[in-house]
Order: sequence, then structure tokens, then C-alpha cells
Amino acid sequence: MASTACFVIVSKNDIPIYDAEVGSAPKKEDQAYQHQFILHAALDVVQDLAWATSAMFLKSVDRFNDLVVSVYVTAGHTRFMLLHDSRSEDGIKSFFQEIFLNPLYLPGSRITSSHFNTKVRALARKYL
Amino acid sequence: MMVELLLLIQRRSSIVFRVTFILSVVLRFMRLAYLIGYGVEIEKSPVNSASLSMLSWPKPATWPSIPPDSSAEVMAKEKTILQAKAREKLFDIQRKPLPLEPSSLLREANRRRAFLSVGNLSELYDSVDGSGLGAHSKLSPNKSSSNLMTRTMSGPATSETSLPVDRPMRLSEIHVAAEHALKQTISDPDFMTSLSSPEEFESRYMELTKGAADNYHRSWWKRHGVVLDGEIAAIFFKHGNYDLAAKSYEKVCALYSAEGWEELLADVLPDLAECQKILKDEAGYLASCVKLLSLESSLFSSKERQAFQSEVVRLAHSEMRHPVPLDVSSLITFAGNPAPPLELCDGDPGTLSVAVWSGFPDDITLESLSLRLSAFSSADEGLKAIRSTDARVLVPGRNIITFDIPPQKPGSYVLGALTGQIGKLSFRSHGFSQDGPVDTDEFMSFEKPTRPVLKVRKPRALVDITPAVSSALLMNELQWIGLIVKPIDYSLKGGILHIDAGAELKIEESQMIEIESYRSDGEHSSPIDASKVLSRPTDTGRVEKVPIENGKIKLPDWASDVTTLVWFPVRAINDTVPKGTSPASPQKHSIVDGMRMIALKLEFGAFHNQIFERTIAVHFTNPFHVSTRVVDKCNDGTLLLQVILHSEVKATLHVKDVSLDLQAGFEHLGKGDGRPTSSLFPLVIAPSSKAGILFVIRLSGTKDLDELEQADSMLHIKYGISGDRATGAHSPVPVKPDDSEELLFKISLKLKRPVLDPCLAVGFLPFSTDCLRVGQLVNMKWRVERLKDLEEASLSDDEILYQVDANPQNWMVAGRKSGHISFSEAQGSRIEIAVTCVPLVSGYVHPPQLGLPDVGDANISCNPAGPHLVCVLPPTLSTSYCIPA
Repeated sequence: MASTACFVIVSKNDIPIYDAEVGSAPKKEDQAYQHQFILHAALDVVQDLAWATSAMFLKSVDRFNDLVVSVYVTAGHTRFMLLHDSRSEDGIKSFFQEIFLNPLYLPGSRITSSHFNTKVRALARKYL
Repeated sequence: MMVELLLLIQRRSSIVFRVTFILSVVLRFMRLAYLIGYGVEIEKSPVNSASLSMLSWPKPATWPSIPPDSSAEVMAKEKTILQAKAREKLFDIQRKPLPLEPSSLLREANRRRAFLSVGNLSELYDSVDGSGLGAHSKLSPNKSSSNLMTRTMSGPATSETSLPVDRPMRLSEIHVAAEHALKQTISDPDFMTSLSSPEEFESRYMELTKGAADNYHRSWWKRHGVVLDGEIAAIFFKHGNYDLAAKSYEKVCALYSAEGWEELLADVLPDLAECQKILKDEAGYLASCVKLLSLESSLFSSKERQAFQSEVVRLAHSEMRHPVPLDVSSLITFAGNPAPPLELCDGDPGTLSVAVWSGFPDDITLESLSLRLSAFSSADEGLKAIRSTDARVLVPGRNIITFDIPPQKPGSYVLGALTGQIGKLSFRSHGFSQDGPVDTDEFMSFEKPTRPVLKVRKPRALVDITPAVSSALLMNELQWIGLIVKPIDYSLKGGILHIDAGAELKIEESQMIEIESYRSDGEHSSPIDASKVLSRPTDTGRVEKVPIENGKIKLPDWASDVTTLVWFPVRAINDTVPKGTSPASPQKHSIVDGMRMIALKLEFGAFHNQIFERTIAVHFTNPFHVSTRVVDKCNDGTLLLQVILHSEVKATLHVKDVSLDLQAGFEHLGKGDGRPTSSLFPLVIAPSSKAGILFVIRLSGTKDLDELEQADSMLHIKYGISGDRATGAHSPVPVKPDDSEELLFKISLKLKRPVLDPCLAVGFLPFSTDCLRVGQLVNMKWRVERLKDLEEASLSDDEILYQVDANPQNWMVAGRKSGHISFSEAQGSRIEIAVTCVPLVSGYVHPPQLGLPDVGDANISCNPAGPHLVCVLPPTLSTSYCIPA
């Protein structure tokens, strides 16, 4: 299990619709803030890369210290972004795929479902 | 040291993937500046923190030492460090300042002092300034901390062996040492200039940052570019260049706001607000404060949010140069009642309660509040706004506000927008909120609910008033008329019934009106609501007497929800005397004669705005219809007159006495008192049936034909009636206490003298033989009789001409065909006339007839009447025509 991981889903018009700290370490406020900032800045990188490749899983698009930003782009240009400190690529890929198949989603709106939240955390524990 | 720096560039990767060289230089430049003590100039923003915290300190083998005679510089640096304080943010927003260093410089530098042993480092920990140690321990390279740990573990920890030869450097000393070392190594004069003073550093830093930002914008990495714009804005702000600062901050805020990264926005927006406040941009400042309030409440403390609110309220109440509307859509939201929609009848007002949620941290006073409703089907907001009471205070959270709704057009309405005023500024909110805790996955927070909150029904029948009886009531008597007042899902409380009687109908206002609860026959004895029934358990309904004034009846309160029967007394007036009928003078009975109209109007409704109008027709009738006929006429002129009484009502009539005043030309026989022959009173006539009464009368002599023509007989009937007012005609309402129950009915009858008035009778006497044969003589005899004396009859002569009519082809008359006869003038005298005839043909033939040409047919009675046809047999065989052979 990654000690630090911040997971954000960004819709195709660049609005974050879901975010969660899924690391096992206790959450620190300023860190969380920095994570948001890093992921936001990484969007620029993603937008370049996403058009350059047809793959869905863009591995590590950016790095911050030991934290890596990995991104998974869906067909509808929704981006799953994960800031994490582990190195298991397969684990991350499976995590993204499971999230992708989770149907609790209504296009355009923020995801407020507690079920989804629970599922994400369970998947994070499983794969990360 | 520069070499080391350059090596750093290659070894460490940076925050951005394809960073331009300029930005990397910026970062290193900033790191150097920090090294020499310009750290206070560097704004602690996320980008700087993020960038610099990753960039570790240079790692020389030994840290340069302080040059001699630098105590003045050290003092100066100390002063700078002590004077450094975090920039005060507007609204007293306290945030933990972000670190700009990967690890404490103090520790790093002192670690590289050759003469210090490991054991002293723990002491250093205690004395270090806490600016960076705890916060960035996660971000610092794992290596250093792990190294530290191993060293601590492995090395000796006793203090007696670690007496330093020299004490550790203070921060100011480190800065001075680094500065001197750099001055010796840096060859580039420009570079040196930029590190020579904080101001120089800042201007170079600004230049480099601008360059980096431009590069990013050109490469379409707008987020990176905008973030650096934020850095530039901070420097502008520091130098008081608020206009440019505001512009740059606006760019940053716009990006974060557009992309919905609220946490990041929460960091920058207060800066923008500060610039706007300084620039006296009231509209912008107001918008920023509102936006700050609209962000997630977890991003700010409640004290900070209260500060935002008080600023908004202050501005709203101040005299703004250009008042702007407030966008509080996410702060003031509303939702309808979860209960079923309010249902109103057409034309009725009502009250609607709406839940309004306030996202403000404190109570807020609204100068006014209005709600718009829009019709469900059409897109436009067709209604005027509905105002609630003025000046209310919204508490944070849920408020219930009631609105008075004026009468609306029929249709379904949903909640539209909420508008109002805070101070002098108006606001409008389209925001719908979920009333209550959200626990469902199906909830779409931005979807407009289309559940209607108000339904105004199409105009429909709210009440029905029908007459209680359909059969006729007694004319010219005081009768009860019943009205069934039935409310249809609506309360008639306070209703007033207006009764307007038409022509020839009078309402007796001296009597009280009776109102009773009504149960139609179809309803079974379901348990009646106790509140609607009197205490008597056996009573089927409740009866109340109310007065009537000027045709107005006020309905009692208990009658507002139940069907009631309203009885009021009326008298239908008909002054014409009814006429009886006889076979000679049939009369058309027009139903319209007995019909009377009553106009009803009921005013009711919660605000007396509903009106029900109806005109009902009530039938009135005489109790009897009388017809006469002559049953029999005796030879002496006595007539048996049968008077038939037809009951016209659905009630039992008791006939007590009948008397007949005969017209001229007729007179009673018998007792002569005008009463019928037999005493059969009281005579009970069942509803709608008839009874006959016999009178014996005869014609009396009178020659005045005019008088005869115009005279009428009058029949007086004394009767009583027992009927139910709920069925039809009934015993009249007693107005005065001594009113008798005996009623009098008068009807005129027209008796006509008989048309036929025979004074002579011509009778045919039977044949003497049984059969008549052709060629055989037959005697035909007639007898003429006087029925009346010659004076009475209208004949003038006592000689009467007679004539025999026979068909010459069938008969041969042997004798006189006509002649005169004269016989006695007295009544009953007779004379025979005989004529011999011979039938000429066989078969059925008309016989000869005797006529009296001078006497009118009306005066002749054929009695006994002669045959119509006679049978004539063929002649007997005649042997005289046979010729012997």
C-alpha cells in the first residue's frame, strides 16, 4: 500500500469531479493542498501527451520528488490522475481499470456518492 | 560550488517534465538567494514551495567558514532575519506558511562542519528554528533522514566525548559565509550584481519569472504560465503596484475558478480581494467576497467566513457608486416542500411555505424576499413575484418562509427564482437545494427539480344546489321549498345564500328557515362524524332554524362541509279561477301556468370570491282537476251529472264537502242545496287518483240565450291534505296559530245545454210478415209521437208534413208519398202513418224512410229506429209462365 497517494478524476472540461486521499499515511493539510497544486499543474503535461498517444494508460507523466503522477485517459477524455509514491505500474494500471468500470457516475456532475468513495478506497488498498 | 550546482541540474529531476532552461535557472537562482539570506524576499507560494522544497542545499565537503571581520554583516543579517514576518493577509486568514527549503539550512550547513560529531546534532535539533523541520520532513529526500537515523543509531551518543572545539554556526553566520564563498566563485558581473542586494535579486527574479511565464504561455502550458503569473502578481503587490497585481491575480483566479479547483482558488482569491479593496474596486471586491463565501466551507475557518460575510454586508449597505447585483446562487438556495403540492381552487389565494437554505456563516438580514413561480408547461415566468414579509433574517442552514399567494390562473407551477435585497443590492438565486440529508446516489446536484409546488385547479364546480322535490306543490298556499346544498370538496364556511323569488311568488319572511343535514336515499347508515351530529343518538340529522332577511340566509358553520337541506316557505299566487273540463269543452292544461322561477346565488369561499348562481323552476298546481260528464239523461229531462275530481298532487287529499252552484239554465233536483246525491264524505283520494261525485240536475227554462252562453257553474271543495314536504305538496305552513287545516278550492265548470232537443219521435213499427218477396205487397208503418207539449217545442204548426223517401228502382210506393198529419198537441200523443210498397229487386236493400221535412233534425228522435237494410227474397216461382208442351 502506497503511503502517499492522491487520486483525482478530472472531467473532459478540466473540472475535478472527484478527489480523495487514498494513501495509508495520515493526511496533512498543506500536503493535500500541494498535491492538488501538483496535479493541477500536471494537467498541462497530460494534455500534450494525451493527444500524442492513443494509449489510455499514460504511465508517469510527471514527477515531484519521489512522487509520481500517473494518468489514465478514458475515451471520453476523462482523466484519472494518481499522485503516488509506489512503483508498481501494474498495480496502478489495474486500479485505474477497476475504477473505470465502476458505473456509479453521472456525466458532468461531481461524484458525491459514498459508495463510490468506499469502492475507491477498497481498490486502492487492493492494488496500491 | 558552482560545479556542484551544475551537477545538481543533471542529477535531480524537476517538477515539470520538459522544463525550459529558464525556469530551472530561476529555481537555482532562488535557491542561491535563499542561501545568502534573501529567503525573506521569496513569497511562500505553492509553486515556490513545491519547486524549492525539492531543490536540496548544495553539498560541499565542508561548509565554507565565516570570513574574519564579518561581524557587522552578521549583525545585519540577523536583523533581517528577525524583522522578517509573513505577509499579513486580508481577513486575517491564517495559513501555515509553506516551506521553501527541503531541510533546515542550519542543520545541513552544520553537518558539513568537519569538527562537529554526530552526537551534537541532536542538540541542534532542539535549537533549530521550526520553520522547516516538521513540515517538510516528508518531502525531504529519504536519504538524508535515513542517514541521520543510522548515524544516530550507530554513533556514540554520549555527550562527554562530543565537546565541540567550535560551536555550530548560527543562521546569519551561514548566510554570510555562503555569500562570501559565492563572491569568490562567481565570475559573471551581472550575476554578481543580482545577488548583491535584495532589490537587485528581486528585479532579476521578476525578469526571469516573466520570461518563464511567457514561454509557458507560448507552449500552451497555460496552467504553468498562469501560476507564474501569480508569482509576478505577488511581487507587484509587494511593490504597491496594485493594478498590475490585480490583473495577474485575476488570471490565476479565473483559471482555478473555471476549472473548479476550489482549494487552489481559496489560496489566491484573498490576494485578489485585497488588491481590489486597495484599488477601491467595489464591484470586484464584492464579487470576490461572495465567491469566497461560496467556496467549500471546509477551506476556511468560520471566523474567516464571518469576516467575508461582514464585508459583503458592509458593502451592501454602503453607497456603492455602481451598485451591482449579487450572485448568491450557491449561498442562498431553496427547495419546495417535500409534501404534495399546494392545491388551490381557481380564484382562491393561499400560502406556500418554502425551505430556504442559507450558506452564510452568520445570520443575514434580507431587506426583502420574493419568489417567482413559473408555469409548468411554459418556459417563461408568467407570474409576478410573490413577496413575503419584508425584512427577514435568515439563519445559517434551513429557514422556512411562507409566502402569501394571490389568486392565480389554473395550472401547475414550479419554483422559479428567488430574488431579494441585501442592503441596497439586489440578488437573484436560481439555486435549488436538496431539502434534508443527501443519502442517495441518484441525486444530481445541478438538476433543476420539476416537481410542481402549486396546483391551481381549473374552475370547477365547488357546490351544487338542486331542488329537493320534483313534484308539484300547492298553488296559492304557503308551502315549503327544499334546496339541497351540496359542497363538492370545498368548504362553504361563511357562505350566504341569496334567494330571489320571481314573479307571482312570494317568500314568507316572517317564518324561520329550516336547515337540516341531508342524507340521500342511496347513502347507508355509515357512522356519522360526531362533530356533525347533535348529541341525540337517534337523530338522523341536525336541524337548525335561521332567520331570513331580504332574501339572504347565512349558512351555519356546521353546514359548511356537509350536504344540507334548506327549507324556506313560499306562496305561489295565481288569481285566475281554474276551469274544469267536460267532453264539450276540453281544455289544454299548460304546465307553464304552474311554473315559478327562483333565482339562487351563493357567495362563499375563503375570501368570498366564489359565486354560484342557479335558477330553479318549481311547479305549483291546484289540488284538483275537475271534469264533468252527463252520465245519463232521463226522459223527463233529469240529468245525472258526474263530477270527477282528479288529484293533481302526490299527497292524500281528504275531501270534506263539495257544493255546486249551478249556472243559469240548470237547477238542482232533490234537496236543492247544491250538494251531491249521496253523502260519502269525508272522501279520501289517494295520490294521483280520482273520485267521482254525482249530482242530479235538470234543465231549467230560460229564453235568454246570452245569459245561457256566458254563465258558469262554481264547484266549492272543502278539503285537507296530508303530504310530505320532501315528496311534494303538503299541508300549508301555518302562519298564524289559529289557521285551520281546512282548505277551500273553487273551480268553475261550464255546463252546456244539450244540443239535441227532440220534441217529436218517429218510430218504425215492425213488419207484419217475416219475409219480403219481390212483387209482394208490404205495409210499412211509422208512428209519430209528441215528446213535448206544443208550447214548449219550437214548432209553430200543429200540422206536420211528412214524406216517404224510397229508391224508385228498388221500391214501388202504392199510395201517397207525402201528406200532412195533425194530431193532438199534448205531450205523448201519437199518430200512425201507413204506406204500402212493393219491393222490385231481391237482396239487401234500403227500405223507404219517413221524413219530416219541416222539422229540424235536432228535434226528431228516431225511436224506435227503423232498419237500415231489409232482406228481400226473390219472387216465388210463377207457374203461369210455364208453357205446356
